[in-house]
This record gives sequence, C-alpha cells and structure tokens, in this order.
Amino acid sequence: MGTMGRMSRLLAIALLAICLMAASAGDGAAAWSGSPRVTVELVSERDAVAPGKTFWIGLRQTIAPGWHTYWSNPGDSGEPPQIDWTLPAGFTASDISWPNPERIRLGPAMSYGYSNEVVLPIQLTAPANLVPGTRVTVAGRASWLVCEKECIPEEAPVSLSLPVVAGEPGLHPTGAPLIARARQAVPSPSPWPATFTATPETVTFAVAARGLVQDRLSEVWFYPARWGAIDHAAAQQARVDARGITVEVARGQLPEATAAPIEGVLVLTERLDGGVVRQAFALRAAPAAATSGLALLRSVALALAGGILLNLMPCVLPVLSVKALGLIQHSAGSARAMRRHGLAYSAGVLGSFAVVAGTLLALRAGGERIGWGFQLQSPLVVTLLAYLLFAMALALSGVFVIGARLAGVGQSLAARSGYGGSFFTGALAAVAATPCTAPFMGAAVGFAVTQPWTTGLLVFEALGLGLALPYLLLTLIPTWRRFLPRPGAWMKRLEELLAFPLYASVAWLVWVLSQQAGPTAVAAALGGLVLIGLAAWLFRISRHARATWRGAGLTAVAALVVGAVALGPLAGTAPARDPAQAAGGRAETFSPRRLAELRAQGRPVFVNVTAAWCITCLVNERVALRSDAVTEAFARKGVVVLKADWTSRDAGIAEMLGSFGRSGVPLYLLYAPALSGRVAASAPAVLPQILTEGAVIDAVNRI
Amino acid sequence: MSEPSLSRRAFLASTGLAAFAGPSLARTGSAWAATAAKVATPAPAFSAVATTGKTVSLADHAGKIVVLEWTNHECPYVRKHYETSNMQALQKEATAQGVIWLSIISSAPNEQGYVSASQADELTKTRGAAPTAVLFDPTGVVGKMYGATNTPHMYVIDKAGVLQYAGAIDDKPTSRKSDVPGAQNYVRVALASVAAGQPVKTPITRAYGCTVKYA
Repeated sequence: MGTMGRMSRLLAIALLAICLMAASAGDGAAAWSGSPRVTVELVSERDAVAPGKTFWIGLRQTIAPGWHTYWSNPGDSGEPPQIDWTLPAGFTASDISWPNPERIRLGPAMSYGYSNEVVLPIQLTAPANLVPGTRVTVAGRASWLVCEKECIPEEAPVSLSLPVVAGEPGLHPTGAPLIARARQAVPSPSPWPATFTATPETVTFAVAARGLVQDRLSEVWFYPARWGAIDHAAAQQARVDARGITVEVARGQLPEATAAPIEGVLVLTERLDGGVVRQAFALRAAPAAATSGLALLRSVALALAGGILLNLMPCVLPVLSVKALGLIQHSAGSARAMRRHGLAYSAGVLGSFAVVAGTLLALRAGGERIGWGFQLQSPLVVTLLAYLLFAMALALSGVFVIGARLAGVGQSLAARSGYGGSFFTGALAAVAATPCTAPFMGAAVGFAVTQPWTTGLLVFEALGLGLALPYLLLTLIPTWRRFLPRPGAWMKRLEELLAFPLYASVAWLVWVLSQQAGPTAVAAALGGLVLIGLAAWLFRISRHARATWRGAGLTAVAALVVGAVALGPLAGTAPARDPAQAAGGRAETFSPRRLAELRAQGRPVFVNVTAAWCITCLVNERVALRSDAVTEAFARKGVVVLKADWTSRDAGIAEMLGSFGRSGVPLYLLYAPALSGRVAASAPAVLPQILTEGAVIDAVNRI
Repeated sequence: MSEPSLSRRAFLASTGLAAFAGPSLARTGSAWAATAAKVATPAPAFSAVATTGKTVSLADHAGKIVVLEWTNHECPYVRKHYETSNMQALQKEATAQGVIWLSIISSAPNEQGYVSASQADELTKTRGAAPTAVLFDPTGVVGKMYGATNTPHMYVIDKAGVLQYAGAIDDKPTSRKSDVPGAQNYVRVALASVAAGQPVKTPITRAYGCTVKYA
C-alpha cells in the first residue's frame, strides 16, 4: 500500500484542511463533506420537522473502494464513528442504531465495519414549541476512523436544514428510502432465547432457533457487542439442527467476560429462491450453567405451586373431593393402608405426567414446535376427554357405580384391592387436569420445554407432585385428618353436587371442539355422550340382572363405548370453522391479499399468528397485545392488526409460518410502513415469542 | 380438518425420531490465537534484532520488569501518544526505575511503519523517546506470539517473567490528542502494581489503534 496510501493520506490531509462543504442540495438533504476516502452527509426521513415529533435522520458515509469504517464494536482494532451534535434548543438526538456490520480480516486481526456505503440511523426529537414556517438546522461534527490497511482518523462538519410545518411532514424522496434500508439492517430483537457455555478454550452459544433448515443457511456469524468474550478473528463453528443453532468459537482474552450475559448480533445469511437474505438478530446470551440452577429452582417452585392450584380447577376438584370423602368415611381405617393409598394416588399422578411430559419433550427434541396442551390440538383427544369426564360425572350422579377394581373412588378406599384404583384415580386426575391450565404453569412449562429432557421432566414432575400433594399430605399426616368434617349423609349430597363441575367441564370441552372442528364434530361428540349415558345406565342395570342378561348387558355397554369412541374421528373430518369468528376484537382477519393491500397503502401492519390452543399466544394477547399502552401505541402509529388464526390447519398460514422458518405459533410480525413503494417487499420485524408490553411498544416506536 | 391433527402427526414422528445433525459450517480461523501469550502465565521467550544490530532476548532481562510496546510511527494512534509526549514521559518514568522498555516494530518491509535501523534511531532521537531498545520483528513472529493486534499495544512482564498486563495504553480509545490528559494510563497503573508486588487490578484491556502491519 505504501506509496499509494501515503499519497492519498497527504491528499486527505490537504483536503481535510480545506474542509469541503458543498452547496446545500435542498431541504433534508444535506451538505456533504469529508475526504477522498469518506464523504459524509446527514439525510432525513422527512422533508420537514413537526413540533414535538420524533423522526429519523441518518449519517451517510460514502466510502471509497478498499476502505472501511467501523461498527459499534470495531473488532480487534479501529474506532466507531461519532457525532458531536450542535442541536437547536430543545432538540434531542438518540444514539446511533447500528446496522449490522461486515467482517474485515486484516492479517491476524478481525475488524467489524462497513464498506462502500452505510447510513447510520439516529432518532431526533423536536421540541413542542417549534414555530411552523421557520427553519431549523441540525448540525454536528462527525468523526470517524477509515482504514484500508492504514488508518486515518477524519472528521467533518455535517448539517441538515429543514422547514418546520404544523402537520405531518412528508417523506423525503431520497432520504426516506436510504433510512428505511439502513433500519432494515439494524438487528431486530432475537425471537429466540439464547444461552452460552464457556470452557477455558471456547464459548458455545445455543440459540433456540428451531425449524431452520441447515442447507439454506450459507452463513451464520455471531458479532459480539463488546471486545473480550470471544476471539473476534477465530473460526466460528456453526451447527443448525432440530434444537436450533449452536456457534462455537475460541474464547476471548477477558476471563470475566463469560461471567455475565454476552450480547451481540447473530447474522444469518439464507439462500432463498429469489436471492440471498441477510438477517440480523440482537442476542443476549445468558450463561447456561449459572442461570439454569436458579431458573430451575424457580421453575420447580412455580410448577409445584401451579400443581397445587390445579386441584381447584373444575375438572380436577371433583376427583380430589371424592378421594377426600373416602378419607372421611374411613378415617378410622388403618393408617398404613391410607398411606399406601396416598402413595398409589401420587404415583398415578406422577406416572401420568411422566408419560405426557415425556412425549412432549421427545416430540420437541424431534423438532416439533409444540407446547403444553398439545394434546388438545387433536379434536379426537378433546372428544375422548369429554367422554371420560362425562362418565365420571354420571358416576357421581349415581347413574352407575364404579367398581372397586376400576377406580377405587369412595367406599373402596380401605380395601386392599383399591390401591390399583387409587393409582388409576391419580392418573385420571392428571389427565383431567390437562385442559385446565393454572396461572403459574405457563412460565414453568415454558422453561421446561426449552431445557434438556432431564430438567424438563423434573419441572413437569414438580407440577405433578403439586397436584398430588394435598391428598398425599392428608394420607401421610393422620393428625391433619382431624380437620375433616364428620362423615354423614351430607357426603352423598356433596358427591352428587360435585358431578356438576364435571358436567361444566364437558360443556367447555364441547365448546373447544366447536372452535376446533365445527358443528359436525360437536354433533358427533354429543351423539357419543348419549351413547356413554346409555352405556352407563345399561352397566348399572346389568349388574343386578341374572347372569345370562348380565353378559349381554356388558357386551352392549362395550359396544356403546366403542361406538362413542368411533364417533370421535368424525370430529377430525369436520369442516373448519370460519376463522373470522374467532379473530374477534379490533383485529382484522389475516389473508395474504389483505396484508399486501395494507402494505400497498403504506400502512404499518402487525400480524398476530395465533391459535386458541396455544397458551403462550393467549398469555401474550392478554399481557401485551390487549394492554392499553400497546393499543395506544398501535393507534398512534396507525398500525393495522391482522390476526391469523391457526386453531385449525390453514395452508396459507402454514406457508407464511414456513417463510419465517417456523413450524408453529406464535409468530408476531411488524411491518413498517412501506415508503413510496420502494421497500414494499421488505421483511418485517419479527417480535419475540414471549411478548412484553415494552417489547411491542419498542418495536412499534421503531417504525 | 382434513389433514391429520398435529398431535397425531407428532406421535407418528416420534416413532421415528431422526437425528437432525447436519454438517457444520466450517470457517477459516485465526492461526495464531492458540499460541498467543496469556496474562498471568509466563511471557513467551523471544529474540529480536535491535537497531544496534545486536540480538536482544527477553531472557537477557530476567529478574527485571519488562514493558513491550508495539509501535508504528505513522499510525495516528501512536502519533497521538508521541506528539503529546505521553509515551516518552512514561518511557522515561519507567526506565528511571530500572524497567526494561522494548519498543517493537512488527511492520513488514514495504508496510506502514517499517523503518531501517538508522531511521528508527533517528525517530527515537527526534521524538525524545527513551526505550531501552527498539526491536525489529519484520516476520511478525514475536507480534503474533504475543497476540499483538494494534499499535500501540502494551504488555507488562513482572520480575518473575510472568505477563501481568496486556492491552491498551489508556482508557480513551480515540486518536484525539485532547483525550490524553484526562485518560487513565493502564500501563502506569500496572507498572506501579507490579513494582509493589501486587496483582494488577485491570490486567487485560482491549488494545486500540491501528492494526499491526504484518506481512
């Protein structure tokens, strides 16, 4: 580089001394200045300033071929650009929103920066007391380091003059597209949780970005926000599999850097049919080992509390109560037998949870994007649960009596043969509990499913233990039973009364079915319930009949139950309901055409891809999307909310999910307003799966 | 719902759980990271030719505190510290207390900062610098051994030969001369701690400056 570089440097110094200032090129565009290597100018998204409004401007650097300027973390050497503002009274300027960088390798060192051209977006807020009709001039001194192989610190004055208007300022014809493009390159918050593990030699990041296809990713690179945690120049071994992305890289020089979360930007370059897409996500990776200890404890505690609360749910309370009634009736019975019943019941609960949770975790390990309650996505499972709860309710109503060997409810408690029944009751309680989600379950279960299977199972078993705990304690600690009321005729009445929460649960499940699978499924399920009722009645009368009739009766009962179950799959073939009905609220129903229409109109659009069975979705809607602050933020920016309901399968929605590398809900997309058609095809911001009010409002403010 | 429900599909999938491990995306790595000197471990031994023509080894100065300064007189960040006499003042302060100060030039021939022995001596003279010696490392072997990425890049080695500080000269990573007076000089602090036999409070910092002009 020697002579050439030196000459250009001399030239630069000469030119810098003159400090070129070109003539102003009209409103919002800007005088440019700089050196032969880098010219800078301020560009504005808007062609005017409105009092009290916030708007984007950008520092545009045009960089000579071969030279580069730097990112916020410049890498192993270099320095990020800076602007010292001279703002009119009352104006405030945000920090630079850094577009994702490129890697520049110089010998053994790695730099992060920009070449050719970069626009660094900055948000300006005007004071409310600006007088329309006047002009304001935003000025500052930009300084930056530009390097080819040699490095030259440069600086230049920058300024931007804009008229003040009363109404909404228009978009600047050249500035707006430049800023829109730059902001697309600013990393969006990562939709995936991330952790890292550190060894003395390496740091390995695990990003739970499931559903990505390895073949399509041409590049995965993690740019740390700060020096020290990882070796900037070292190779990054990226793997994409069913669990997500892992990136292994040599450790940086700063030992304490791995004691705290590591922030940075994950850049994924994906080959699509139409070209290459580069997406940047701002990550904050927590130390995996350090957090999981604390987080595990918290999740286990939450799961335990959630499990205890499950006992109060209408689908579980009757089961538990009947068991408790049995205790009252037999409080004089052997303490040992009772303990055994308690343990058998708990084993039933835990076993049942282990099966469901094990299945869930295994499916997730296989790449399925499912969560707790996934069982209820199947109309067949919903139908069968309705049958089960209906049969239990009929038993409590006295339509038939469940034998000791079958369920062990009530009087069979003290019998030795009832242990199996107690186990079965426990399993039943766990199954009956699945539709009822207690308030604490969401967080704990959300944590459990992202963990290794052992940890996940532990959290689910804590949930089960919580469910089993009240009954278990009553059986284990005899003195507690003193607080139970005396047995009497009231017990029979209570048992009959407890049938009604179960009938209510059945009614609710049928409603779920109506949402999921439409009227045909409901009709099939209701028909099945009639058959179950008939079977229950036949079961009772055949028990008192003569042996020959009894055989025929039981055969008929079996046939009816089989018939009812056979009706179940009918639910699965029923037509899907009208999604508009479920969308409700202020949201419009999503369709690709409607989205395109709104985008063409230049409206910002929020797409909420959700499903009635998706607990996370419902929580997000309640906590974040329906909050007053979010509603206000949407209204302020004129955001149109489109709801894509995936409760039933929908090819259009599935396709859209697929285009974002997802196979399940929730998915939240925020499309910035299209600017004069130029960025209409641009990608939306993908919001995190777990929404907070702040995250949504932040995202809305960025558009 | 004409398609199988998700849960049934999922159950089917579970019966044949496939391993999804794909080939990893290989990258070229930094060849030298593994051999770089590490703070709190013995400083790697090296020998290099000084402007005097003599070969100087780290081992020659066993039992003494040694400062290594990677330099390139044309780098704006180096000039910041020489044109404010900040570097020279620190050199004089250190060498007066018996510290060995080795300025090392790892610029390859024809790269920025590469100088002849007489040019280097001339620079020392005109700038009023006071290193114990100025060493040449045109192949970059020493620089890469120490993981020197920047000019200036500073190292402090204690009397036992253990590397105690690696990183920037101070906490103001700019090329602005006006930042020198208000800066906290990490090397000065490290030298004081090492001389007192105490651990260095900030033993590792991000070096700032120009990249070393390796071959």
